[in-house]
Amino acid sequence: MMEQIQINDSHELMDREGMFYKEFPSDFRQIRYFTLLIVQKAPPEIREINLLEQQISELIKNAVKHGNRSDQSKLVKVWYTFSEEKARIIIEDEGEGFQAIKDWNAFNEKRNSCLSNEDYEALADYVSFRTERSDDNDGGNAMFAALEYWNEGVVFTEKANCVAVGKTFPKKNTGIDLG
Amino acid sequence: MELKVRKSKHIYIVDIEGEMDLYNAYKLKELVSKMLDKGIGHFVINMEKVEYIDSSGIGALIYVSSALKKKSARLVITSVHGSVKKVIELTKLTGYFPLEDSLKEGIVALMKG
Repeated sequence: MMEQIQINDSHELMDREGMFYKEFPSDFRQIRYFTLLIVQKAPPEIREINLLEQQISELIKNAVKHGNRSDQSKLVKVWYTFSEEKARIIIEDEGEGFQAIKDWNAFNEKRNSCLSNEDYEALADYVSFRTERSDDNDGGNAMFAALEYWNEGVVFTEKANCVAVGKTFPKKNTGIDLG
Repeated sequence: MELKVRKSKHIYIVDIEGEMDLYNAYKLKELVSKMLDKGIGHFVINMEKVEYIDSSGIGALIYVSSALKKKSARLVITSVHGSVKKVIELTKLTGYFPLEDSLKEGIVALMKG
């Protein structure tokens, strides 16, 4: 499990080779629809109870809302590939980038220490990551779950307007006993 | 997402039905704020019919938990299951939220005072 959001332009998760591609205008109302257009390429085995959809939707939302600030003339570009064992996705926006990655990682470290101490009083200060641009509708918790879900990592470029994530899924038992 | 409120003695049960996502999670915050203004002190948020939640939905639950705590109102969240349970686990908030397995157990927990 990765403990931190990484910054690395040449990380293997950034490799777009052989991936599908779609681009969308930054229309806030259509975030879940765009997500469905991507997730429909995934085999049912890895869509497990909407989780893949939910996790991808969070990343697209960040690109639309925080990256492109819902400016419909700006695009969100998505590269993606799915198999029964693996999901990978790269999402790029035309914004200024997620400049608070270091702050986020420091915040997450404190949050994790509250969690490991089961100190839920102190955790109350670390349930939601806010920046000066956060609004009331921002949960401020999406990336905590992202880091847990995407077990191959959550990696941003130096410019931080592009995020790549990956997850491997445990191989399902085929029920055929080869022994 | 639909919200319905019913009452069992002094306990107010908010039944949520549908998807708690970025488009409608704010409705729960608005409803609970109004109920708090009326002086209501015992809440059950019943999630039995919620099949999808995202970070905005989790954010609404965090908001409700902390707003109620500030007013010394009591809360249980009941019948979290499926992907909703999984998202709460991924966010590592299972121990933070006052979760009960069923509506019945939630009401019993609040009755204990």
